Amino acid sequence: MKFGKRKLWKGILLEFAFIILCLLTLLPIIYALSVSLNASNSLFTSGLRLFPDKLTLENYYTILLEKPFLIWMRNSIVLSLLTVFLTLFVTVPAAYAFSRFRFRGQKATMSFLLLLNAFPTILSLFAIYRIIKILGLLNKKAALVLIYTGTMAIFTFWTMKGYFDSIPNDMEEAAKIDGATNLQLISKIILPLALPSVLVAGVLVFINAWNEYIFATIFITGTEKYTLALGLYSLQATDYTRNWPLFSAASILTSLPTLIVFFLVQRHMVAGLTAGGVKG
Amino acid sequence: MDRRKGYTHWIYLVPFLIFIIMTVLIPLIYTFYVSFTNMSVYHWTNYKFIGLKNYYKALLTVDSGFLSALFRTLLWTALNIILLVFFAFVIALGLNSPELRFKNIYKTLLIFPWAMPAYVTILLWRMGMFNTEFGFLNQLIRKAGWQPINFLSTDVYAFLSCMIINLWLGIPYMFTMIDAAMQSIDRGIYENAYMEGAGFWRVHVFITAPMIAPILTPILIMTAFTNFKQFDIVYLMTMQTGSKTGANIHTLITYVYDKAFVTSNYGYSAAVTGIISLIIIILYMGMQKIARSKVN
Amino acid sequence: MKKVNKKTFMLLMAVLCTVMLFGCSGTTDNSKEKTSTPDSSSEEIKEKQEKQVQTITIWHSADATIADTLQKQVDSLNPDVNVKFERKENMAESLKLVGNDPESAPDMYLWAHDKVGVFAEMGILSPITDFIGEEETKALIPMTLEAGKYDGQNYQLPIYYEALLFMYNKALVKEVPKTTDELLQRMKSETKDGHYVFVEQHSTSYCSAPWIQGFQGYIINESKTPGLDLPETIQALEYHKEFVPYMPADGEYNTVTTLFTEGKSEFAIGGPWLVPGLKEAKVDLGIASMPVLPNGNPLKPFSGVQGIHVLKHVGENKKGAVASVLKVLVKPEVGIALAEAANCAPANVRAYDNVAISENEMIMALREMAENVVPMPNVPEMDVMWGITDELLASINKNNGNVAEECRRCQKMALEQIEAMH
Repeated sequence: MKFGKRKLWKGILLEFAFIILCLLTLLPIIYALSVSLNASNSLFTSGLRLFPDKLTLENYYTILLEKPFLIWMRNSIVLSLLTVFLTLFVTVPAAYAFSRFRFRGQKATMSFLLLLNAFPTILSLFAIYRIIKILGLLNKKAALVLIYTGTMAIFTFWTMKGYFDSIPNDMEEAAKIDGATNLQLISKIILPLALPSVLVAGVLVFINAWNEYIFATIFITGTEKYTLALGLYSLQATDYTRNWPLFSAASILTSLPTLIVFFLVQRHMVAGLTAGGVKG
Repeated sequence: MDRRKGYTHWIYLVPFLIFIIMTVLIPLIYTFYVSFTNMSVYHWTNYKFIGLKNYYKALLTVDSGFLSALFRTLLWTALNIILLVFFAFVIALGLNSPELRFKNIYKTLLIFPWAMPAYVTILLWRMGMFNTEFGFLNQLIRKAGWQPINFLSTDVYAFLSCMIINLWLGIPYMFTMIDAAMQSIDRGIYENAYMEGAGFWRVHVFITAPMIAPILTPILIMTAFTNFKQFDIVYLMTMQTGSKTGANIHTLITYVYDKAFVTSNYGYSAAVTGIISLIIIILYMGMQKIARSKVN
Repeated sequence: MKKVNKKTFMLLMAVLCTVMLFGCSGTTDNSKEKTSTPDSSSEEIKEKQEKQVQTITIWHSADATIADTLQKQVDSLNPDVNVKFERKENMAESLKLVGNDPESAPDMYLWAHDKVGVFAEMGILSPITDFIGEEETKALIPMTLEAGKYDGQNYQLPIYYEALLFMYNKALVKEVPKTTDELLQRMKSETKDGHYVFVEQHSTSYCSAPWIQGFQGYIINESKTPGLDLPETIQALEYHKEFVPYMPADGEYNTVTTLFTEGKSEFAIGGPWLVPGLKEAKVDLGIASMPVLPNGNPLKPFSGVQGIHVLKHVGENKKGAVASVLKVLVKPEVGIALAEAANCAPANVRAYDNVAISENEMIMALREMAENVVPMPNVPEMDVMWGITDELLASINKNNGNVAEECRRCQKMALEQIEAMH
């Protein structure tokens, strides 16, 4: 009985600590929310209060109905999902290979990849532009998918490799004896085991593709082709167009899909099979 | 482990390597090539090979400002990694405790900083939190009857402010990774340890941390590089054109951006990039040497 | 299985190698190819094109109302010439990348005049005189035409221009000071507790230029010499520094704008882009002539002239179409429409005969100032000067540096970076 009570208190304390933590984390976001609900076009409200005198949802209506926001969102969704699939398609086998095979030059390749990633891709815009032009993909979504995949590949690869290493080999060996092909090995055994890390990697790629705007400024022309991050950027790019409440409303709307994706995905990020199934 | 000397592993690797070669390696080689030419606004299409001239010039940027930026960047990287891991580890531990009821909601709310484009959140911090007139922090300070602080104009305050933002932006990723890594631990181990009477912190410092370390090592190395490359926070907070704050908290990349990249002299900038790459390689080798000697 | 793998692998490697070769060799050869194609095949294309509809793409990154207004004006050229204004972010960087690539570059673009030097040196611009005669540009304000001149050529057809204005809140101000000394006196005696007399972005190059230029100094001149350590510049910054303690410490755009919009500052120096927001907030806005410095000169701001530039890759075959677009955009009607829709000050003098414009206080203030502004330098070297001047101002105004010393340090830095551009 006493033990149970202590546990209850511990739970309440923990709950409380997390609520405080969330509030602290969200402080700047709450600020953005308050600006977005403000009726006057101002980035600041003088006086220390979280919400302005005159609340309005008008900025949200404007952004959703008058701006091509929904088109931008569609572009972003397509672009980000394609990037996620392509990146995982390319990096999961690579992480698997580096984790399961031993071959000549493996260590060197790993180090080399790491060093390559230390080099800021953005500095080589011109060369990337050339390659995209040769591939005939200028002003096409595919260009950005390729670029994002390439720039994220090493990071995603490294993110997963450590996790793959931690998965014991026994089940694969057993499956191999049963005559499973390599493809079956990956899809039936490795992927379910490595699911938490693959999902995290996927979320990582999704968020990066969703939020990227520098490459987008170069490779996209015409508002109807913009992504959300680029559209947001355009809302504050010039002195004339700068409208902070609208911008804040758009920022908040932009982050919502990411949060929804994360919320939906995270229940699968919990250990399914590893926690006992394999090792027992 | 599979030690076959076949080509099977190549099937897995080729698509990956193609992407790396196309979007990272070729651009790198191209940049290297440009570093030997005089490509600039004045020689855009009619550029020619000028040998090592750009490298002489680039070496001139390695002055006292460069060295203090390098030192500051190392300090920045070390501090950020330590604090990132510390906070993320504690948060992940909390999220994994069975007593917590609404963990999915907390997790989702806590990754919010990650869900917005960085330039938006940096802007929110600069205006909403640190602004001298209207910023939340300075309004609090005023309410308390103190003098407002010009956070972004003095070196130490500006450095700390940028670090807070960096942590704020970085912790969501880090705790998600640690959380995922913790999923690979067999819960049975904990039960045994608790049965033997080990305390909460003892268990997690001596069991959890070592068990997730191998998974996290590559992630930590990547994060170290990301922090080393830090550009946008420091640049957007203190030295954006039109709103320079006067604090000098240059990191290596902002420093060379300010010195070299603004000149639109591509050959020269490429040479500077080359020198930075060299520094990164040296640091990396040094790190590996230390790691190896520790293992031995 | 193994054999197939090896084969596919070799094939992929081969593909990669070719891609790589293209990637590297393509860059050097392109310039030659491009110059040779128009001559050889232009005759045939010309014939073909004459029957077809010509399409002209114009990049812009202006406000949507401005772009829409211009779009309506050029729609009159339909169906012979189909003109499309297309929004582009980060235009300056994009043009550097794609500027001489007919496949992805636009035919023209709308931008301020200050990048003319960069793009002209890169060889991606055609002088507008190739398309439009002096007769047609006669009615443009000389300052606006002058702004787009680089190395003796004129690269921009001016449409409208902007410059900083001396604004005041009529509800708070009884008398507008005529001199900066008067203004300083009032700032000293009346600035307190979050109430300001005067605000401006005191530590940005663009906003400090009026002071430097009023003292006859300059940031950089036409012969590409920086002037940060000129006695005039030092004197200007020393004088300007006296004003800074009475303004908000960070001097940031949003801080300054909000203070003025909320009626917490009586005066401000700001651009025409503030006006819509001020109107929305119901500020009774007054615009006065720039206050006069102790040497008898008024503050002398930069002007930014927005205009159309034509890219060089646009071949002979499109020459007629480009000329027809320019001839539409040079008309006073365009200026009138822009002034009505977006409060822009037209470059065409004849637009000012229109009643609606001559009654617009802000536009008329800009018209009067046209003789008292300095077009932003358009030499490529200005690119490095913005950052260095910002740093100079921050170190003087925010970190209380010694003016003369900082000026000399930054001048040295400017000379080094300009040297590094070549």
